[in-house]
Amino acid sequence: MSRKVGIPGALLYYYYFPLWQAFFQALGAEVAVSGPSTKSVLNRGVELAVEDACLPVKLALGHVAELAGKVDYLFLPRLVSVASREYICPKFLGFPDMVRQTVPDLPPIIDVNVNLYRRQNKLYTAFRAAGKIFSAGEARIFLAYRRGLAALGKYWKLMGEGFSPEEAINLLNRSSPRCPQPSNAARTIPEDGPAAASDKAPRPEREKPVVAVIGHPYNIYDPYISMNLLKKLRQAGVRTATAEQLPETVVRREAAYLPKRLFWTLNQRMTGAAFYFLRSGRVQGLLQVTSFGCGPDSMTGELIARRAAGHGDMPFLNLVLDEHSGEAGVLTRLEAFLDMVRQKQEGGRPG
Amino acid sequence: MVKGYLGIDAGSVSTNLVFLDEAGRIREALYLRTQGRPIATIQTGLRQLAESLPPRVAVRGVGATGSGRHLAGVITGADVVKNEITSHAVATSTLIPGVQTILEIGGQDSKLIILRNSLVVDFAMNTVCAAGTGSFLDQQAARLGIPIEKFGEIALRSRSPVRIAGRCAVFAESDMIHKQQMGYDLPDILAGLCEALVRNYLNNVGKGKEILPPVVFQGGVAANAGMKHAFEKALGLEVQIPPYYNVMGAVGAALLAREKTVRGLPSSFKGFQVAQVDFASGGFTCDGCPNTCEVVEIREEGRVIARWGDRCGKWSGALAERKTG
Repeated sequence: MSRKVGIPGALLYYYYFPLWQAFFQALGAEVAVSGPSTKSVLNRGVELAVEDACLPVKLALGHVAELAGKVDYLFLPRLVSVASREYICPKFLGFPDMVRQTVPDLPPIIDVNVNLYRRQNKLYTAFRAAGKIFSAGEARIFLAYRRGLAALGKYWKLMGEGFSPEEAINLLNRSSPRCPQPSNAARTIPEDGPAAASDKAPRPEREKPVVAVIGHPYNIYDPYISMNLLKKLRQAGVRTATAEQLPETVVRREAAYLPKRLFWTLNQRMTGAAFYFLRSGRVQGLLQVTSFGCGPDSMTGELIARRAAGHGDMPFLNLVLDEHSGEAGVLTRLEAFLDMVRQKQEGGRPG
Repeated sequence: MVKGYLGIDAGSVSTNLVFLDEAGRIREALYLRTQGRPIATIQTGLRQLAESLPPRVAVRGVGATGSGRHLAGVITGADVVKNEITSHAVATSTLIPGVQTILEIGGQDSKLIILRNSLVVDFAMNTVCAAGTGSFLDQQAARLGIPIEKFGEIALRSRSPVRIAGRCAVFAESDMIHKQQMGYDLPDILAGLCEALVRNYLNNVGKGKEILPPVVFQGGVAANAGMKHAFEKALGLEVQIPPYYNVMGAVGAALLAREKTVRGLPSSFKGFQVAQVDFASGGFTCDGCPNTCEVVEIREEGRVIARWGDRCGKWSGALAERKTG
């Protein structure tokens, strides 16, 4: 019988899941993902978490608890650094330990270290350690790793085309190649990007405004935590653009406009994307989503807000999510923000 | 025959109704306490408005705003349901052209709206904390045994306001009690409270916002002269209070209804007789998934006319389908 590896559908799931899934499947393991976030998942996480954990960590603990008695292993890689001289948030680094201290009835945890802070460190080291649990064959592990990387490459390509993480994962896991429309229909990819061809596509009669939604993927793409933000925007007749659509090179180039390099990889992505969208003139509004208790967000949130203020009349809204957020307050702000966006679009158009 | 537009602001503490004539002049304005019964209060408002208006009135459009805007919308059949921020901005920029800053403090909400060239360019709203809103002032006035209407007048008599910790309503209250037990004068305490609330407002809602004149102060709390004085002192700017300061949201909703229906579209207003219709609201907890949403149902004469509160749209969506189908 194949062994079951549990992966919580939270935090870095949104960045790396296809890699992890393909890797374990190639080694003959079964992969189980926790279900969608719900009130009970969050409540469970809040109960388990230490007081000053941020909202996404609390939620992730709820996802882990859901998997806990149902899988043979929990895969919680300790991501210290994924890029040279950069770090992932310290709460991610300590996440496997937090889980051990708080969640009851845990299966063995695979918490291999991913630390690429020094250039000579290799990502494969971590996968080799994880692979040893399932296979003795060095070659088999390496092939599984390569298969994982290929899946990850496809995943980011799909997101570049405007598919949300959920849509991209569904597409990857579907054998028949169908081509549905990506929900993030706004094509804001730069000059020579792969979407340049899409300009030939028939345009809607009235150009819908594009709003850039900047935030951690585990916040903005989680329908429960974001209160269906992206869907609400689309229902309100707005196209959305997110950082995940932009290639790494663009994001890094834009973030480099800061006088000092940001050493948080994830926030560098958000900041770079926000700067790009602000500068590109292709978006009519910037909506920033930060989570309460997030250290890096409190810093880069302010950097982005100030940059947005420098762009004069660019409508900007910062939504702070926490477990006490009332949906009514969020809706009121969102509606007023969209009024601003539309007003600007109409006012800015001659005649 | 009088033709015009109806604006309803269903707020947490007050429910306000205005009637604008076609030229946009305010013919009637009502300010009612919601007292926890939004539907009944809207109906009372409609009844009173119908009585004070001439018998033959044509309502060309209805706009609803406020935290109870969706409720007000389904009950009256509003043409426009708009958030409070846009409504206030529309009203003020129409009545006071050139306004650049709107300070709005209501019962539970406080907002700051920044306008440039009559367009909203930035706004902020208080988040989870209601310190510094009308409810808190109400509560403190009641505790001190002074009518809320006298609050501002007494505060203006102060010669040296006492410094009160205004970060949190609960701590502000303990601080006030402490100051009162130390023997400070009532006017100084009240003026100190106004200054604390203004400080809190400017530091939270007003954080990072560019407040430029003309500054307009509206919402129920603008009735408090002590608050106006404290704002002027803190900002170093003149603060104007518009004549209909406490019903501006409703004025904005009516103006938006006028904009919407100006092209001759018929209004979906159900008529003043909805004041006599039996409305009931109730709720249930959906057990379809672990989100256990609390779904609200509004019934008109026993028939469900609206549902909301479900995250997935299963209940609200089913109703919308039935309507169109």
